[in-house]
Amino acid sequence: MYYVEISGLSKRYGTTTVFEDIQLGLKKGEFVTLLGPSGCGKSTLLRCLAGLTEADQGQIRVDGQDITHLAPQKRGIGMVFQHYALFPNMTVAENIAFGLKMLKCPAEEMARRVAEVIRQVELSNKEHHYPHELSGGQRQRVALARALVVEPRILLLDEPLSALDARIRRSLREEIRDIQSRLGLTTVFVTHDQEEALTLSDRIFVMNQGRIVQEGSAETIYTQPATEFVARFMGSYNLLAPTEAKQLLGLDLKGHLAIRPESIQLSEPGRSYPAHFAPVAAIIRQHQLLGNIIRYHVEAQGTTLLIDHLNRSADDLLPTGTQIAVLIDRQQMREVH
Amino acid sequence: MKTTLSSSLPVPAGAVTARPSRLRHWRAALLLAPLFVMLLLFCLAPMGWVVAHSIQGDEGLTLEHFREVLGSPFYLQAFDNSLRISLYSSVVGLLITLVGAASLRRVENRLKNLVVAFINMTSNLSGVPLAFAFIIIVGTNGALTLLFRQWGWLDDFHLYSRSGLILLYTYFQLPLGLLLLYPALDALDDHWQEAAALLGANHWAYWRHVGLPVLAPALLGTFILLLANAIGAYATAFALTSGNFNLVTVRIASLVSGNVYLEPNLAAALSVLLVALLALVAVVNQWLLKRSYHAR
Amino acid sequence: MRADRYHHLVVTLLILLLALPIVATLLYSLTQRWEASILPEGFTLAWYWQLWQDARFLTAFGHSLLVCVGTLLLSTVIIIPAAFVVFYRFPWLDRWMNIIILLPFAMPPVVASVGLLQVFAGGPLPLVGTPWILVGCYFTIALPFMYRALANSLLALNVRDLMDAAYLLGASTPRAFLSVILPNLRKGLMASLFLSFSFLLGEFVFANLLVGSRYETLQVYLYNMHNASGHFTSAVVMSYFLFTLVLTWFATRLGRQD
Repeated sequence: MYYVEISGLSKRYGTTTVFEDIQLGLKKGEFVTLLGPSGCGKSTLLRCLAGLTEADQGQIRVDGQDITHLAPQKRGIGMVFQHYALFPNMTVAENIAFGLKMLKCPAEEMARRVAEVIRQVELSNKEHHYPHELSGGQRQRVALARALVVEPRILLLDEPLSALDARIRRSLREEIRDIQSRLGLTTVFVTHDQEEALTLSDRIFVMNQGRIVQEGSAETIYTQPATEFVARFMGSYNLLAPTEAKQLLGLDLKGHLAIRPESIQLSEPGRSYPAHFAPVAAIIRQHQLLGNIIRYHVEAQGTTLLIDHLNRSADDLLPTGTQIAVLIDRQQMREVH
Repeated sequence: MKTTLSSSLPVPAGAVTARPSRLRHWRAALLLAPLFVMLLLFCLAPMGWVVAHSIQGDEGLTLEHFREVLGSPFYLQAFDNSLRISLYSSVVGLLITLVGAASLRRVENRLKNLVVAFINMTSNLSGVPLAFAFIIIVGTNGALTLLFRQWGWLDDFHLYSRSGLILLYTYFQLPLGLLLLYPALDALDDHWQEAAALLGANHWAYWRHVGLPVLAPALLGTFILLLANAIGAYATAFALTSGNFNLVTVRIASLVSGNVYLEPNLAAALSVLLVALLALVAVVNQWLLKRSYHAR
Repeated sequence: MRADRYHHLVVTLLILLLALPIVATLLYSLTQRWEASILPEGFTLAWYWQLWQDARFLTAFGHSLLVCVGTLLLSTVIIIPAAFVVFYRFPWLDRWMNIIILLPFAMPPVVASVGLLQVFAGGPLPLVGTPWILVGCYFTIALPFMYRALANSLLALNVRDLMDAAYLLGASTPRAFLSVILPNLRKGLMASLFLSFSFLLGEFVFANLLVGSRYETLQVYLYNMHNASGHFTSAVVMSYFLFTLVLTWFATRLGRQD
């Protein structure tokens, strides 16, 4: 029995289908991510959950209650928007107090709860500032505080980090996760950034073209992509077409072969190797330095492979043109369709 | 004269540096001269004349003209009429405009562009042609007047009265108000309404706490422009009543171009008071603007 | 959706409200009678026929066109070099220009007329009663629209870089202005010209107070016809309205292409 249950949900605009027959369940206190490229329907799905967009078919239940046609005001759902959506005419404290004011919360309690949540998001000296006087990161904290202060049953985060720069994004993301687990809040997070999804989520739903294509823990999604789309979307996977897989590894496959760049090892030609590795002769064409990782582009019989190699010291670097043996871990290969 | 920009930018070689810079500046300034001469002749000179002659008596300076205006029930009535008609028509115009512009943002683009073009078009119908159009529709023998009278709907409405002028003024305020306010409504982010809804605010609460406060500067600005536009308007009322309705602008015009007797100095005093009224409106507007929300 | 229907209703009501006087005038101008009935009776083009054969109307129309075209020519010749100089030589002046060009709007036309009637009554420039005084006044009306339109085009152009580039290629200042800057101002200029034209054509206060019947323009003619048949004046109103319609249509067309 899930806390939030979406069943058979569909949404169309005219002839375009936004999403179709979505089945999705959330346990109480879980941090779930809807991951997918832009236009896959994830944001609209979130808006249906919030009640900002009406679904055409299907049902949404929270805690056993059917909320499919309930007004957003009555759902007890908090939401953080991509561009913050802070009220520009109100100070930080007034923005946060807005929801409590709508609930006709007594002044004393309101002040206490606002102060409490302001402390939580570490904005104590900014209470009387207006949104335009804050940085992007600070604005998003206000938005988070505003959603949290009314103690919603579910927290929805619609790409809340994508308007921020990389450094702030990383620290804020940890903060969000921290507050979420402290409050035990059931949370749905929407993003197109697979790194964000992997670091934050208890469970990930990967969406593509209006359908959920894979569901599972971050671990599972990353190491065992169910489809070619997921493998491509999760990052730098090497995807070998059936002909390439046949040529390089002698495998007869129907689908593509997905190999993670870090599961391939570099070796000198002729060296011995464990039995579960498949050897392929290759030549180094190019390398990129990605901090602690060196990414080699190697060519083996006309096929380019990406290989991630831990960057231990500068002497390790293999120059372009070096003949090498590439060892592919058979246990880490996956056929995807 | 000194240009802040040119001194900070690298000047390329060739023609630019060949001539002494002061000379070039004077030659350039010469091209501005006709514009300023025209403004001097057709704007500043009459302005100066009006101010100077409002305090010009038969012998030396005097406040006599102002005393005459302020002591005359007839001129005070003109101010009263002008203010009331302008105020009512601006308030009603602004309300219709706000509701209309808010809805206009919500209809599909094709219709929206069409309506905006149409509003642009109707803004040309003002002054004399507008008055004539209204005479045809709701004048004494207007089509609607006769029709309504026949049906017994309309008893005491009279186009050539104050309520008639308010109707007419409201009508010519609409296109102006819509064209000013409609782009300003884009300042409203749709996400605010959604965020407010999720925090428990209904439609009214959103408009009360977020929508209207955010729009306050634009609403104020539009209102003030409508008001000033109405206070200074002359053609419509003059064409409608042939100058028989007592408005400040009608009074001023009749003092300088009437057939009976001309009193340009008194007209100047009335003019100064009218402009002072407009200035007061502008000052109040600034003051309110400072007190309204000050983001951005 | 409920909200959707509400917004359509409001917009429809707005269109009806705005269209009512225009449609009524149009119907009135095309019919023989309209008395106490929902729709007028007796379709006819007689009023237009009569109007467009009226020598006085044609003269007034001609006067209006002459004054407006004259004003706009003068404005173009004065404002283009001025705006160019502001942006090329005195960029700091633009801020002040924006205030200066609005000066005429500080005085309602009626107030300005009080002064104008006296200043130009006699003396070195006895312009009252001649079309020349209208050209001067209309210049101040057109100024803010034309200056702003040109200023926007110039801002987008980056005048200084363009001129510098032209110098480096050996052009003189007038040459560079004519061949590099001016062609780029065409669209903004044309749009503002059409817009100003329709404004000026509708101007009544100056025309009536400063010149009146001595050089009757379209608006003054229309006013002087106020004792004529309503059907006839409707035909005047509609003719004028359709003419400005074409002008604003051109203005928006040109404005959109930018």
